Amino acid sequence: MTVKKRSKPVSVNPLKIGQSLGGILAMQGCYRAMPVVHGSQGCSAFPKALLTRHFREPIAVQTSALQEMDVIFDANRNLEEALNAVLSKHRPDIIGIIGTELTDVAGVDYQSMLKSYKRERNMRGGLAFSVTLPDFRGSLESGFSVTVEAMVDELIQQAGLRGQRNVNSRQITLLPGSYLTPGDVMELKEIVSSFGFEVIALPDISTSLSGHLLTGFSPLTRGGVPLDSMLQSLQSGLTIAFGASMERPARRLHNALGTPYKVFQGTMGLKASDELLNFLHQISGVPVPIRYCWQRENLLDCMLDAHFQFAGVSALAALEPDHLRSVSEWLDELGVEQKALITSYETPAVAEMEREVWVGDLDDAEVLGSGADLWIGSSHGIAGAERIGAAFLAAGFPIWNELGSYMNVSVGYRGAMEWTNKAGNLLMRREAEHRESSIRHR
Amino acid sequence: MEPIRKEEIDDQACGSLAPKSKPCPRPKPGEAAGGCSFDGAQITLLPIMDAAHLVHGPVACAGNSWESRGSLSSGPSLSQYGFATDLSNNDIIFGGEKKLKDSIDYIAGRFAPPAIFVYSTCVTALIGEDMDAVCKEASGRLGIPVVPVNSPGFVGSKNLGNRLAGDALLQYVIGTGEPELEASMGVNLIGEYNIAGEMWDIEKLMNQAGITLLSRITGDARYKEITWAHRAKANMVVCSRALLGLAKQMESKYGIPYFEGSFYGAKETTYSLRQMAFLLNDREMERRVDRLTEREENRLSHDLRPYRKILKGKKAVLYTGGVKSWSVISALKELGIQVVGVGTNKSSDEDVQRIADRVSDDTEYIPEGGASRIIKTVKERKADIMIAGGRNMYVAMKEQIPFVDINQERHKAYAGYEGLLRLAKELVDSMANPIWKLASSPAPWDKEGSYDR
Repeated sequence: MTVKKRSKPVSVNPLKIGQSLGGILAMQGCYRAMPVVHGSQGCSAFPKALLTRHFREPIAVQTSALQEMDVIFDANRNLEEALNAVLSKHRPDIIGIIGTELTDVAGVDYQSMLKSYKRERNMRGGLAFSVTLPDFRGSLESGFSVTVEAMVDELIQQAGLRGQRNVNSRQITLLPGSYLTPGDVMELKEIVSSFGFEVIALPDISTSLSGHLLTGFSPLTRGGVPLDSMLQSLQSGLTIAFGASMERPARRLHNALGTPYKVFQGTMGLKASDELLNFLHQISGVPVPIRYCWQRENLLDCMLDAHFQFAGVSALAALEPDHLRSVSEWLDELGVEQKALITSYETPAVAEMEREVWVGDLDDAEVLGSGADLWIGSSHGIAGAERIGAAFLAAGFPIWNELGSYMNVSVGYRGAMEWTNKAGNLLMRREAEHRESSIRHR
Repeated sequence: MEPIRKEEIDDQACGSLAPKSKPCPRPKPGEAAGGCSFDGAQITLLPIMDAAHLVHGPVACAGNSWESRGSLSSGPSLSQYGFATDLSNNDIIFGGEKKLKDSIDYIAGRFAPPAIFVYSTCVTALIGEDMDAVCKEASGRLGIPVVPVNSPGFVGSKNLGNRLAGDALLQYVIGTGEPELEASMGVNLIGEYNIAGEMWDIEKLMNQAGITLLSRITGDARYKEITWAHRAKANMVVCSRALLGLAKQMESKYGIPYFEGSFYGAKETTYSLRQMAFLLNDREMERRVDRLTEREENRLSHDLRPYRKILKGKKAVLYTGGVKSWSVISALKELGIQVVGVGTNKSSDEDVQRIADRVSDDTEYIPEGGASRIIKTVKERKADIMIAGGRNMYVAMKEQIPFVDINQERHKAYAGYEGLLRLAKELVDSMANPIWKLASSPAPWDKEGSYDR
């Protein structure tokens, strides 16, 4: 419908997360990878701290540690040093150089530097690419998808196959968006493979950030999709992208290799799950596995049980664009009034939503969502939710106020059921608290 | 053991006010860890709880960092708001000064803070924004202090940022106000950020001894109390690496003597309280401090007995920055724990000297960051526990090493006598947790010798 913006000179309690963090996150889903942030130390230290706090896992990231004079005279000397150090010490399979607003404003040409670096050192076998992710454009979501796109590009170049390839029609490449948790990616892999497909997720945070006990410290990523699987994914007969932001990398695969693709913009709720399962049933010819038939009934029953809780209730959601769209569709199914939908930046996917969406910050969420019963968003929203007296449901990034949020599932029937129960329980508790306080005050 | 080399000690000198020989070492690309100067400046100033803190730059500098500190507030919470000018492409091309001015006006109008701190970032510094002029103009027009903090990330390390924040306080804040009460001859605490409420434990002790805490710089501070910091009779520098320069300059500018002290461990706490009374030059107060510290130490040693029994002879690797590197050693020693490895990464040369005074000869110094280096020390020295910051927490978990968080994200206060008791309990609970046994035992099907077939 329309995307609006409140006029205000300053961002108060930002919802937006720097793009480069999205890039670092995408790299965590690749095995033995190292993102190198081309910027000052804080450009990698802040995202590292934030990602560590959210996932409760060590996060692989390095920096070119730019200082003032480096930026003015020769920023690429630092990058070269950083690459030398990372390559000789850790031998990563995949390196992603992430340019920041600092290198962007200074006009540093690290793309051609990387090219000559690769040529001079005769780098083969590994994957090295660069992306430009300044923080004054986009947000976490765009940083993630742009990085995946660059990764896919580099894979295609590396493999050198244009048009000619052995298509494996039983293999599907998944492109899960940045808003999906490791638990979500795992669930999606499971759903798709239950129809008899081989599945390669790109990137795959479900095997790197879901909690593992691999000992032997390495500063590189542990887990994630290995490089040979990534290369193998080029033979897939189909790409499935989750989230509109992942359409671009899917289109790259289509343009270069002719791989058809399907984008699921929504991933939450009954209809979205129906759509996914029906699609998989259609293309595989395999009947929907019985456990999903059961889950569908479970979900419907749970929604019936919960509908008393949701009747007449209003919610606000402050999330990244794709996530917002997905959550909004789920709220629609519950009949919850959507008081305010706030997102970090405008994308075509939110612009075409049938609801009013605001690009803004968490202060806008407080103002526009005043009177809402439920606040859906990151841990940054706890204080705001308290101020407007809404129940707080943690979603998106970052979440630090609860354990195991990285294993939360929102996709499929199971995910919709988990969220419905969780939100319903929060509302029930809130109602009980209100009742108690009204008795006390009488 | 790896002895500290002379050059390394020289490198550490950048913590002091005037670098002796060379400036702070350049961070090594590809191996650097830790935050930037912008981060450091924020750490120092964000605990001024009633002020607004506005970040002038693209959104991520604020967006990725707000609400990441464990500095607690006893009242106002405006400093927990994240304010950013959120510069766009266009602002960078045409300049963001207008937006900065409007942002300051907006914040002043809507939140009415006693002061606004404005932080520069790499981008605004690079494009040459005249932040000082905008702040000065706004300050005159709005009638509230608008303090520019010129500490963009790329000027250097986190420590340098602490110092630059101290400079901003000295230049714009300290000396601009007068205390409300006449009998104000108190002590300032410098570089104590009230992580997990530690300041409150310290304040309680000072009150019991009858020592006035004049200005808190900056844990749980209010803006106006810093304006009259120059009226103190003594300064205590709690985190020496960060704000020693501030104390030194206050000494030369206002003639306020300072000392460096700590509140980790009973001995250090007692020393710090005594030193305050000494500098206040009040016999009666000194006697009160003696009585208080004796009473508290006796009570503590009684309460600690069961924990000491368990902790005696245990080995720890301590990896933390600045003052804590040496002061926590004393606390651990009092609990009977041997420190077998200690980080010297962010310590000044004085700090390193103090470490040397407190550890045994075969303690390993870990001069540089890198989780692998810390873990190597833990393994080689067969340490029972690792005490470090949140950044290394999950690395320790992967290696199944018991861990206690000592840095800014922690949730427990370890300062003072009560704090030492809390630390002892935390250490015991952490090492005794059943998870260590469970995590190291294999699944039944992975055990040697399966069922007879």
